[in-house]
Formats: sequence, structure tokens, C-alpha cells
Amino acid sequence: MTATDGLAAPTRASAAPSPPDRREDPSPARVRRHRAENIRGWAYMAPFLVAFGLFLIWPTIYGLWMSLTGVSLAGTKDEFIGLDNWAEALSDGQVWSSLGNTAWFTVLSTIPLVVIAMGLAVLVNLGLPGQWFWRLSFFMPFLLASTVISQFWIWMYNPQLGLINEFLGWFGLTGPAWLQDPNTAMISVVITTVWWTIGFNFLLYLAALQNIPQQLYEAAALDGAGGWRKFASITLPQLAPITVLVLVLQLLNSLKVFDQIYQMTGGGPGGATRPIMLYIYEVGFTGYRLGYASAISYIYFFLIITISIAYVVISSRRSVKA
Amino acid sequence: MRHVPAPSPSTALGRRRLLQGAGGLGALAGLGALSSCAGADARASDDIAFWHPMSGPDGETMGELLEGYMATGGAAEVTQTVLAAGAPYYTKLAMASAGGRAPDFAVMHASRVTAHAQGGLLDPWDLDLLAELGVTQEQFPARIWEKMEVGGDLVAVALDSHPFVLFYNTEIAKAAGVLDSSGLLMPVSTPEEFRAMALELGAQSSSGYGLSWGYLGDGVNQWRMFSTYYSQMGGTIDLPVGGRMEYQEDIAVAAIEWILSLIDGEVGNPGHDVGTAVSEFGTGSSGGYFGGVWEIGSFRDSGVPFDMTMIPGVFGEPTAYADSHTFVLPHQSNPDEQRRRTVHAVVAHLLKHSIDWAGAGHIPAFTPVIEDPAYAQLEPQSHYADAIDHLVYDPQAWFTGSGADFHNYFGDEMQNVWARRIDPLQGWNAFVARIDALLQKPTPM
Repeated sequence: MTATDGLAAPTRASAAPSPPDRREDPSPARVRRHRAENIRGWAYMAPFLVAFGLFLIWPTIYGLWMSLTGVSLAGTKDEFIGLDNWAEALSDGQVWSSLGNTAWFTVLSTIPLVVIAMGLAVLVNLGLPGQWFWRLSFFMPFLLASTVISQFWIWMYNPQLGLINEFLGWFGLTGPAWLQDPNTAMISVVITTVWWTIGFNFLLYLAALQNIPQQLYEAAALDGAGGWRKFASITLPQLAPITVLVLVLQLLNSLKVFDQIYQMTGGGPGGATRPIMLYIYEVGFTGYRLGYASAISYIYFFLIITISIAYVVISSRRSVKA
Repeated sequence: MRHVPAPSPSTALGRRRLLQGAGGLGALAGLGALSSCAGADARASDDIAFWHPMSGPDGETMGELLEGYMATGGAAEVTQTVLAAGAPYYTKLAMASAGGRAPDFAVMHASRVTAHAQGGLLDPWDLDLLAELGVTQEQFPARIWEKMEVGGDLVAVALDSHPFVLFYNTEIAKAAGVLDSSGLLMPVSTPEEFRAMALELGAQSSSGYGLSWGYLGDGVNQWRMFSTYYSQMGGTIDLPVGGRMEYQEDIAVAAIEWILSLIDGEVGNPGHDVGTAVSEFGTGSSGGYFGGVWEIGSFRDSGVPFDMTMIPGVFGEPTAYADSHTFVLPHQSNPDEQRRRTVHAVVAHLLKHSIDWAGAGHIPAFTPVIEDPAYAQLEPQSHYADAIDHLVYDPQAWFTGSGADFHNYFGDEMQNVWARRIDPLQGWNAFVARIDALLQKPTPM
């Protein structure tokens, strides 16, 4: 769609005479039916609206209020303190370092979780024998609980008894204490995360690949296109919509990282792997400072909203130019 | 006569209205399921709700002790709720207490008691009632009683103390010639003697290590070890809220350097987490193990021949970093007097029968049990019973104690020291800076 199409449509619509709208027929029977439909509609929506209001809208508003108070998990000091918590959070080095860790984790995890997932899906989609086995292998870890995954990899990374250092030892190499060395802790968590969660993205890509019309490949083959050419000119562009979806979902998941880090490193060593969600948990639930934890949550929330808006604005400008 | 607070109309009506409203909406009828985890006033009048974080052998023993109580004439039903230990347990307990609808009684570590009591999360015990049931101040070691009192009120009743001690493999120790004529580990009084003994143990061990200690990624165990030697050297720590951490830097560095010398790859393994250290000692591969007394169950199950002792006081008086399981009355807005009386009776029963609790390794806090000849016959428990006179608890602050963040912060900053990536003072200063920053923040209690 061009910019002109998009802008002209409403003008045309408003200029044309409106056709008679049967819904505006004021006959009493129709009005009653319309009202009944409305009531039924609201009734169907009511459970969701109640849950939505109770568990999302109300906590969101209440959380904002909490961030302006000194409320504690111990139920004391809920007096209004204005923006003190916000000011403290903005000057708290731990907030910034954990935000940095979150961003670093997101960068390190999102790229392989998109690229490798696509690669695996393409490979499996080539028609290799034993497809069920590959699908199961790549997807199976995703079905396991984070506690199981974490314990499994903690043992793998154990510097003395772990399989990884044992393997390195076969080549005369001495591996580090993966999860306790600040230089390797984050990358170790990322490797675990990629291994654990790649199955979901892999399945999305596999489904998208199977939806690409075969005629495109057949036509390309008639034109003499090779494997790489087909991939670059057909597969990749056809996967563009799903890639955007995978990327967005993955960014959201990575920004929310908590479970595996909480269990594998507890945010250490020296805070090298502490994401913002873990810091908020520590401040609010083990440090009991709910008001302060709320302020950090909202700063993070606004940060993500700002980035999202910037992304939407930039994307829409690009599409307008196109 | 004891004062019984009048019911708070606002609280009761608020909840009732909410539930009525939820019932009217229908969609929230499932909230009824929440009643199973509700507070005291949602249960039958004689049903006592008890929360604790004990699992494994400790949980089994606690269950047996409660069965013992319930088998006595006129006893009430006690329902245990076992919650995940550490921070999650304390979060739930604090929330329940803050809401005033907590369980009838709960277990809390002594190191957390003061902060929770100051925050109004604990109700006081009735000393007269306890005395009526045969439990008095004189029956507890002074150090433990002191931890149970806050602002003149008894806010906790200690069941035990569980110190950090030294386990040793008796077969390896015998082969190394470090046992005395009574079969106990020979006393040592200097760091050099201790090191020589550890090397002798290592020479007889299949792993080559005289000592196993797990520390990787475990700030709690790192702090236990540090606190033991720091306090042996005479070090103290004060944490004045709004001020700065007060400590002795030279002693702190000396303690850290000593610990480093024990994980130098010669005396002890330089890269163990707790699991692998337990495994190394439990499979009979090393001569000694630094750990908590509660590991008795694991090592018995593994079949390794072992005995235990206090960690030798090679820098002065021996000390035992410890904490205590205590019984507390989490704050209830509307406590029921009869139920409170029953809780006092349950706790008195548990204290008097804590010889069974000692079987899991803990040192009973109730002195009549320790003085009972039956305790002297418990081995290896009786071999480290002296620790009760040398207990060292966490420094007092709202963020210290079992399950709090203090130990994690220590582990965070010291991990690189144990890995020899930074020097001891650098790591220690980073920890101090972290604590100083915390001391400047408003206390949530």
C-alpha cells in the first residue's frame, strides 16, 4: 500500500453518500434484539473483564501508587514520599548495572535464538530422513521446567566434575569455573537459555516454512536458481513476517529473564549476571522494600515503552517512505 | 488474666465483603480454594497451623515429634505446612504476619527474629504460661536466650542451635595417625598444626585432599567459613543503620587469606560447590569436611565412617558460626486465646522431646535435654555439644540472617577472591561498599 492509498481512502469514504444503514432501523423489536445482543456480549466478556481489572489494571495502578510510598512487605511505612523512590532508583548503581546485564543478555540470547532457530528449521525442512527425531530433539528441552534445566546445566558447568570441563580435558585444556567466573557466567547462562528455549522458535519457523508455496521454488528452479539463490530470494523474504514475530517475542522473553539466572548464578558472581527482574525481586521480596521495588519496575516499564514507541515510530516512517 | 484483643471489624468485614462480592460474581468462586492457605480464623477452632521450612530428614523428624505430641491425651491437631526454605519462606511469613492472618506458630531462624519483631511481625510468648508448662529462662543457654528477647519481650523460643563444624573420616584419620587414644581427632592449637594435620589426612585420601569445603556460588557457606575464623581472631562486625559497617580490616584480610590457604589445591580442592564437596567426603574420598551439622543424615546414608568436632580454635578460642531454629508467633490481628495456649503446650512438648531433634544433628537449646545422659550417648552429636558455649550469630541488621541477602552479597563480592582473580582486600572492600550502601537505605522494618 502506498501513502496515497492510505490517506485517500477516508476522503473517498466521507465524500460518498452513506448507504442506508439497516442497523439504524429504530423498530422496537430491532432495538430490543440489539440491546439483548449487547447484554449477551458483555456477559461473555464479564469474566475476562473482571480478571483483567482485578489482576492487571488494579495492580498496575496500585503499583504506581506504591512507588510513591515507603510501603514495605512488612506492612509498615506506607506514607506518601513523592518521587523519593524514583530518585533513589535513578541514582542506584545496582539498577543501572542490572539494566546493563539485561540488555547484554537480550543481545546475546536474541540473535542466536532467531538465527539458529531459523537455520535448524531450514535444515529439518530440507527433507532429511527421521524428521520426527530432529523435531523432537530440538523441541524437547523447551518442555522441561527451568529448575530441571538449571540443575542439569549447573552440573554440566561444574569445574571439577562437569562434562564440559571433562571434555576440554581430553584436549589438554583446563576449563574455567563457568558459572563463577564473571568473564564466562553470562555466556554460560545464554548457552543454557538458547539450548532450552530454541525449540519454540524452531517450531514457529518450521510451520512458516511449510506454508511457503512450492510453486515458487519450482518456478525458481525452472529459471535456473540454485539452492542458495532460492533461500535468499524466496525463503528469507517469505519468512520475514514470522521473523518479526519471533524477534518481538524473543525480545520480550529475554527482557523478562529471571528463572534460570536466579537458579544458576543467583545474579553473581559480583552481580555479573543479575538482570533487572532479579534486582527487583531482591529489593521487593527479600529486602521487603515494595515501594522502592515498584519504582524500579516502573522505570523499567517506561524504558521498554519508550523503546517500543521509538521502534513503532521509526518502523512506520520507514513504511511511509517505502 | 490475659488480654484478648477485640476483633477488628474493618479487617473481618473487608474480607467477608470481598468474598461475598466474589461469590456474587461467580467467576471468582474459585477463591474459596484459597481458604486452605488462609490464617488461623479460617480453620476449625482446635486445628493448629504450623509453618516451617524443614524438608528431608529434618522435616521427617519434625513430623515424628508432632505425631508424638498429637498422641498425648487432649492434644490438638497440628497441621504442618512445609514451605521452600530461604528467602521464599521468609517472604511468605512476613506477608502473612503483616496481614495479621498468619499461622498459629512458625519456625524462624534466630538471626531473623530481631528484625521481624521490631517490624511488629511477631507476637510475644507468654512467659507465665511457658513456666506453667515447665519451660523457663534458666533452661536455655544465655547466648541463645539473648537472641530470643527483643525489647524485653520473649519473641522466640529456641529449639536448637546448628553450628558450622568439622566432619572427619575416622578411617582416614586413623591411618593418618591423627586420632588420640579415645579415637577423637587430636587437638591442634596453631594454624601450622592444623595445616599439618590436614595434609596428613590428605595423604591418606584417594582425592589427595584433607579437607572438602563447598563454596562456589554459595555465599552462605562462604560466610559461615569466614565468620568462623574472623570471630576466632577476635573480629567483630556492627551494622548501624544509617551509618557505616564497623569491622577490623586486618583481621578480615587475615581470615580470608587463611581460608585461601585451605583451598590451595594442596590441603583442599580449589573449586568445589557444596554438592561436590558433600559428594567427595560422602564417598570417602577426602579426610575432612567443613559444613553444617545437618549433613549428618547425608553422610550416614552414604555409609562413610565419620565423626565430628568443633572447628579447632587455631587463632584463639574456638568459635562456631551458627543459627538457631526458633518457634515464633507470627502476628495475628485476632489471636484466639485457647489456640495460643495450645501452641505454648505444643512447643513445650517439642522442647522436652528435642532429644529426637538432636538425632538430626542439631544441638538442643533446651538444657535439660543436653544434660540428660541420653544425649551424652548420642554420637557424634555429643562430640560437638560444646559448640553451644561458643556460638557466633550474624551481625544484627534487618538484611542479615539465614535466607536474607547479606550472605549472597558476601558471596557475590568474594567469589573472585576465592578464584584468586582479585586480592582479599579488594573483595572485602567491595563487600563493605555494598553493605554501606544498604545501611544508607531506609529500613523496611
